[in-house]
Order: sequence, then C-alpha cells, then structure tokens
Amino acid sequence: MSTLEKLRDRASTVVGLTGTASHQWRSRLINAGPVVALVVLIIVFAITSSVFLTGSNLATIGSQLSILLVLAVGMTFVILLGSIDLSSEGVMAASSLIFVLLASNDRNGNNFGWLAVGAGIGTGALFGLINGFFHTKFGIPSFMVTLGTGAIGLGVATVLFGGQPPRLMDGTLRRLGVASWFGVSALLYISLGVFVVALLIQKYTRVGRYGYVIGGDEGIASISGINIKKYKIGAFVISGTCAGLAGVMASAQLDVGDVNIGTGLLFTAISAVVVGGTILSGGRGGVLKTLIGSLIIVVLANGLILAGISPDVQIAVQSVVIVAAVAITSWPLRKRVRVVK
Amino acid sequence: MNQDRVMKLPRHGRRGTKFTCIVALGALALAGCSTISSQSSGSKTGANKAVNPKNLLLVESVRSLSNPYHAQWVKGGQMFADSVGAKLTVLTDEGDSQKQLSGISSLANSGKTIVLNVDPNTNSDTQAIVRTVSAAGGYVVTQWNKPAGFEPWGVGNNWVSHISFDGNVGGEQVANTLFTAMGGSGGIIALQGILDNVSSQQRFTGLNKALSSKPGIKLLDQQTANWDRNQAFKVTQTLLSKYGNKVKGVWAANDNMALGAIQALNSAGMLGKVPIVSASDAVPEALQDIKAGKDGLLATVSTDAYWQGGAAMALAYDAAIGKIDVNKLTHEQRAFYGTQLLVTKANVDKVLTPPTAESLKADFADPFKRMTGAIGN
Repeated sequence: MSTLEKLRDRASTVVGLTGTASHQWRSRLINAGPVVALVVLIIVFAITSSVFLTGSNLATIGSQLSILLVLAVGMTFVILLGSIDLSSEGVMAASSLIFVLLASNDRNGNNFGWLAVGAGIGTGALFGLINGFFHTKFGIPSFMVTLGTGAIGLGVATVLFGGQPPRLMDGTLRRLGVASWFGVSALLYISLGVFVVALLIQKYTRVGRYGYVIGGDEGIASISGINIKKYKIGAFVISGTCAGLAGVMASAQLDVGDVNIGTGLLFTAISAVVVGGTILSGGRGGVLKTLIGSLIIVVLANGLILAGISPDVQIAVQSVVIVAAVAITSWPLRKRVRVVK
Repeated sequence: MNQDRVMKLPRHGRRGTKFTCIVALGALALAGCSTISSQSSGSKTGANKAVNPKNLLLVESVRSLSNPYHAQWVKGGQMFADSVGAKLTVLTDEGDSQKQLSGISSLANSGKTIVLNVDPNTNSDTQAIVRTVSAAGGYVVTQWNKPAGFEPWGVGNNWVSHISFDGNVGGEQVANTLFTAMGGSGGIIALQGILDNVSSQQRFTGLNKALSSKPGIKLLDQQTANWDRNQAFKVTQTLLSKYGNKVKGVWAANDNMALGAIQALNSAGMLGKVPIVSASDAVPEALQDIKAGKDGLLATVSTDAYWQGGAAMALAYDAAIGKIDVNKLTHEQRAFYGTQLLVTKANVDKVLTPPTAESLKADFADPFKRMTGAIGN
C-alpha cells in the first residue's frame, strides 16, 4: 500500500467515511451493540423481578444514574482523544470539601449558597486546566499527569477535611440533593442538562469536532493545521468541570463534604464510557454512547439486587456482563489495525 | 550503521549493569548483616532487653487521616507520646498495603528502635509487618486484622500483642436495640461491610444470633455496601424500591453505611420513620445524629479510637523499655478483645466528649485494663 493510500485509509477511519456495504453493516452493529445489551438486560430483569419496571424503581435508577452520567460524559471527551483522566476521584474530593466549606456548614460561618456551588465546579475546571496544560505543554502522558493531580486533589481535600467531615447545612442545597420533581430526582434533571450541553458541544463546537480528528490520528490533525494543544486542554477542562459538578452533586446528596465522596466512581465512569462503545484508543464514540453505557452499569447493579442474586457473587456477575458487553461491542473492530494498549 | 551501534551498546551496558548489581547486592547483604547482628535482640524465648527511651521511635501506622476514626486514633497516640515526653511519627498509607509496609520498613531500619502501633490494611499484611519489625528489633502491637492461627507467641517477643474487638457482641447488641424499637416485629434490611472481612462477618453473625431469638423479625435482604456511604445510599435506595413499606428497620455494619442509608430514606420520604442502627465506629456525625434523634439512628458501638491509639502504643512502649516482660504475658494478654461500648441516646453525651490525657491515664498505666477476653479462632 502506498503512503498515500495508507493516509487515505486512516483519514477515512477518522472521519468515518465508510464506503463499502460491509463497512456500513459493521458501523451499525457497533452502534447497536450497547443498545441491544441494554434492552436485553431490561427484558431479563423485567422477567426476573416484578418490581423492576415499577415507577418507583425507575425513579431509583434515574437517581442512581445522575452522578455517574455527569462524570462519564466529561470523561468521554478525554477518552475520545485517546487520553485518559484518572484525576476524577481526587477532583471530586477537593470540589466536595471546597463546596461544603463555602456553603453553610457546621464547621465555619460561611454561607455563600450558590457561589459555593460555583466554587466547587470551578475547582474541577481548574484541575482540568492543570491536567491539560501539563499534558500538552510538557508532553507528559495523560494517565501520569492525571494520576498526580488526582493525588493532589485528595491531598487538598484531606487538609480541608481536618479529621472530621463537615456537614452541609444549607437547606436549599440539601433539599436539592434528595428532592424529586414530578417523581424524578432533581439531580437527574441537572445531569440530563449536562448531557444535552455536552451533546451540543460534541456536535457543534470545535472542541467536540476536532476531538474526533485528534483522537483518530493526531498526525493528520497536526498536518491539517489544527491547534491540537488548545483543543486537548479544552477536553480536559470539560472533564474536570464535570468531575467538579459530580463532587458537588454527591455532597448535596449525602449532606457532607467527604474525601471519599468519589471512591469507586472513577472506574465505574470509565467502564460506562467503554461499555457504551467509545474506544479507549480514541477517535470513536461520543456522549450518546456514554448515556447508554451508564444506563447499562446502573441497570445492572440495580437489577442484580432486585433479582435476588447473592451479594457474594454479584460483583463477579456484574464484571462478567461488562466484559462480555465490551467484547461484543468491539467484535466488529477486531480486525482493524488498532493497537490495544 | 545504526543497527550496529544498537547491537553493541547493550553488551557494554549489560556488563556495567551486572557489575552494579553485584555491588548493590553486596552492599545490601552487608547492610542486612549489620542490622541483624546489632539489633537481633528479639528471640522467641529470650527476655526482651530494655531500650533507652531516648532511642525509641514511636510510630502510629493507620490508613488515612481523612476519616474521623483514625484521626482520633492518632490523637490518642499523641496523648500517650506527650505523657512520656516522646515525639510521635504518623504513617498513613491511604489503603495501600505496599506503602504501609515500605513506610514501616524504612522507619524500622532508621537506626532507632521502632515502637509501632499499627492497623494493618488486611490479614495478609500483618504477617509481613510483624516480621519486618521483629527483624529490626522493634516492638509492635497490631489491631483488628490478623490471620487465624498466626499468633504473637509463635513469632516472638517483638510482636507484643494483637488487639481486636468482638463483632459478634456489637452486631447483636445493636440488633436488639433495633428490634425493641420496632416493637418486636417487622422486616429489616442489612448492609454488610466488605464480605471477606472478619469484623464484617462477626457483626453479621451477631445480627443473625439476635434474629434467631426474635421470630417476629424478618431479614428481608442483606447486601454489601463495602463500608462506603455512597454505595450504602444506592443499595438502600434499590432495596427500598424492592420492599417499600415492608422495611421497618435498617441494620448497618458501620456508621458510614448507616449515614448513607439515612440519606436514601430521606430521598424516599421515609426519614425518621424507620429506625436504623450501626454495629461499629461511633464517628462524630453518627453520635450527633443519635443525640438529635430525628433521623432515626438509634445506636452505634464505640471501640474508643483514642484508647486504641494511646493504650496500645503504651503496651508496645512498655515492652520496649522493659516495664513489661513479654515472656511473662499470658496468651490471653497477647491476643485479646478490647472493651466496646453500646452508644444510645442515654449515654451519647459522655461519648461525644473527647477523652483527655488525664482520663486515659489509668489506661496508659495498665494497657490491659480494657481486656475482655482472649481472641478465639
């Protein structure tokens, strides 16, 4: 294959110009895989549990989806670049503490209300900016930078924590964390709002569009004259901002500023993104897929409890389903020249 | 050309590496010998030699300072260190066993004799920690985690004692408090800690024992929430949508999970209508909730983290300075359960007041004062 042909092939992969019929069939399957998996799960759980499809349980699923979705949607932008953001748990910890200590709480006399919410989210954005800056300007691999800043976030949070979790006392914000509007958790409205904004960013802005190009092939993107650094930083800021918001939401939900507020959520979020069909090597995927992936994860955890599966085997069953889902989703891609890292 | 250069380089490199390795190994071996010969005071049977208090290094090794329990633990250790005029070093590992072991290992071999009070992350870490400290001639008291059948007297005098708390007792006591509040009948849900954790299993066994004597109470479901508040929130939410109003009580294996369950009840509009108990920890938040009495949290169990940090350190210290002859300790004294306290609204004020160096003085003088019995395997 000549260099020109290779380039054209790579370019078509990046942009998604799928010429042949088999290509189209494949791409349809990639898109349909996670949706099929979700539908199968829903059918199985609807059969095994009479409670699963009741209104109250769907509300529960919605509430459990909210924080994970916000975190995973942000993560999607970074994974689309072929990078990773491992700082989420640390960022959530820092934003959680900063938010609660600035809002009305039982530790100090602050009462900044919604400004505290802004500060919590801003903390996340700042961490994202730092991640993006060090990753692009110094060429440090993203996993290394974000692992480090995540630890910094945990450190900041631990200092602020001072041995005892501060409790959130702001009535409005406390209610927001557990309130339901028309039977749906208030936090779900927020996360769906984030989802819609993210979808618009992905479809209609340069950060979103160029993300695919950069993730697909950074070389081509660079030759095309795209300011890669700028858009990479943009993606990390989105991810950080989402993590900051997730920290604030989790704090409002649990009424507390806690270093461990995001424990376990990092890998759940990455799983949600990947199960949804976004590829870790970048260039393919999107926030819509992440919505499906997040739903799969939440429905699975909820359904296994409802189905009465013993807690001893739940985690194994959960992981088997996730690995199987990823394997099925990526099956049509196995022949692509994609290096698995 | 290029390939030639690449081929040649490793040969030189390899010879250099080999030489470096040999030198490094030699140095390590020398260092190892000198450590053992100068500090191998701890044999299995020989009396422990008294160490000059000035040459002691007091170390508390705990998971993290980001939870109130270990923060109180360290404060207790500080009170003891102040009482003997020593400096306290605190090691935190954020749940990373390797970090814990390497931290302990470097301090144990720093030239001073280490006096260690440690909360090992897992059962398997205990073995490595006590062997490291013993090899360096230090003194160690371990708490909570220990493999069954692996005993201090089988290792030597440098592992002074192991302290734990009988989860059976706490789990059963709070369950009975819950059942009384429920009027002796109705369904409950249970939140367990990490399933392969001994304390979690003991506490759940305690709950089952209480259940067996109260036929009116039905255990609707039991799930793990891994000691975590977030997970407890989600699991309780799901269980509430599964069982709805049939849930008349919640039993949690620790405070964090009980607090998560409270928020789940809150979001389901059931706050204050369902009584909750926690089988361990007595963190300040839970105590304040019990005191306020409006969220439904009725009881928790306190092991007194200040005592765990201070009195256990006193025990290791006494062995190091020769005040306690480890040879003369009974097996019970070397692996014992400490006292725990059932905390309800009646006595919560007392527990909310942090102890002072003065109030702990008697426990520092006699570290066995709160011993309740031998740890059975």
